[in-house]
Amino acid sequence: MDTSKPAIFVNGGLLAMHVKKRVRAVLQIVGSDRGSVIAKSTDDHQIVVKGSPPPSPLTTFVEVIGVADSEKSIQAEIWTNFGDSFDTHSYNQLCQLANGEYQNLFL
Amino acid sequence: MYGGGNDFDGSAAAFMGGGFMPSQTTHTPDPSSFSTSRNREARCLLPLTVKQIRELASNDESNFVIDGVEVNNVTILGRVCQKEDKTSEYTFIVDDGTGQIECTKWIQESLDVDELGGILIGVYVRVHGQLRGLQGRRFINVFSIRSITDFNEMTSHFIDCIYVHFYNTRLRGHPSQAQVTNSAMGSTLKGYQASPQNQFSAHFSTDGLSNAGQVILNLLQQPAYLANEDGVHRNVIAQQLNIPMNKLMEELQSLVDNGFVYSTIDDDHFKSTVNA
Repeated sequence: MDTSKPAIFVNGGLLAMHVKKRVRAVLQIVGSDRGSVIAKSTDDHQIVVKGSPPPSPLTTFVEVIGVADSEKSIQAEIWTNFGDSFDTHSYNQLCQLANGEYQNLFL
Repeated sequence: MYGGGNDFDGSAAAFMGGGFMPSQTTHTPDPSSFSTSRNREARCLLPLTVKQIRELASNDESNFVIDGVEVNNVTILGRVCQKEDKTSEYTFIVDDGTGQIECTKWIQESLDVDELGGILIGVYVRVHGQLRGLQGRRFINVFSIRSITDFNEMTSHFIDCIYVHFYNTRLRGHPSQAQVTNSAMGSTLKGYQASPQNQFSAHFSTDGLSNAGQVILNLLQQPAYLANEDGVHRNVIAQQLNIPMNKLMEELQSLVDNGFVYSTIDDDHFKSTVNA
């Protein structure tokens, strides 16, 4: 995997725009199901995160960087604990801006 | 100028200019202050995405320009994806999701080693430094690199990048509008350099405000309210102007965001930044 490729900020709704591309999303962990992690995006979509989580326990909010598998799932390569409190509203706004008017700064 | 211990002059200058904001003093009519303001402009600190840095069109070793502003000191935020330590320097490759850039920190004291030792691969860092170029390659000569503890700083950084890009491309591009913002910013960000009050008010009413916002601002600028340290309670504003509370809060938030109004003793009291 070429890690130098950009990873665009996404929320659940924007994931569909980037299927098969590299994305990053901050997600709230909800639970796990058959080896995948179930999480909630900053715009309240349910996302399935595939791939192996790090050995250390996940915090409430986790950033995953990986490839958008489908419009509802991400194949994660990098997991980063973002702690137990995170301003999801601002992050969600940032996702919108980074995929909209100001995309040229990001992608 | 960049030799020895003077490296940090840049950050001091950035402070005077209101953090990362490009200096607004170019509009100062006094010609004697021109050279200092130019100097400060060249040294302002810009929050950038790595993509913006990589796209800078210059093969020189310096003289980078982005959105009409000279790039010298920059701040980026990203994840360390490679690290190399030699005796005299540490090199980090920082990936902010938009691209990767090499950041080099020269070791001057043993204190540096302790600090840098804690920055491992996978850690998110905030980097402040000077942008350099060499044979088409870009790298950052690091003044400070520290790990992020509150991840909201990441969101905040990228919003800063967007705002500064917007400011430099849109607001500076339109002189009349820029003037308004400059006066407003001048008063909120650079209190030490108070612009004449009458000029401030004169420019205040033109751009960047909705009608409702303007009406609220006019109310807050009535002498009786300006004189009150606590400002005005939102219920009073709603009552006086007969605006529904949700609409009022929306307008107030936008006024706060634009630096025209601030909240005082609690989240319910608001005051105009004029005479603040």
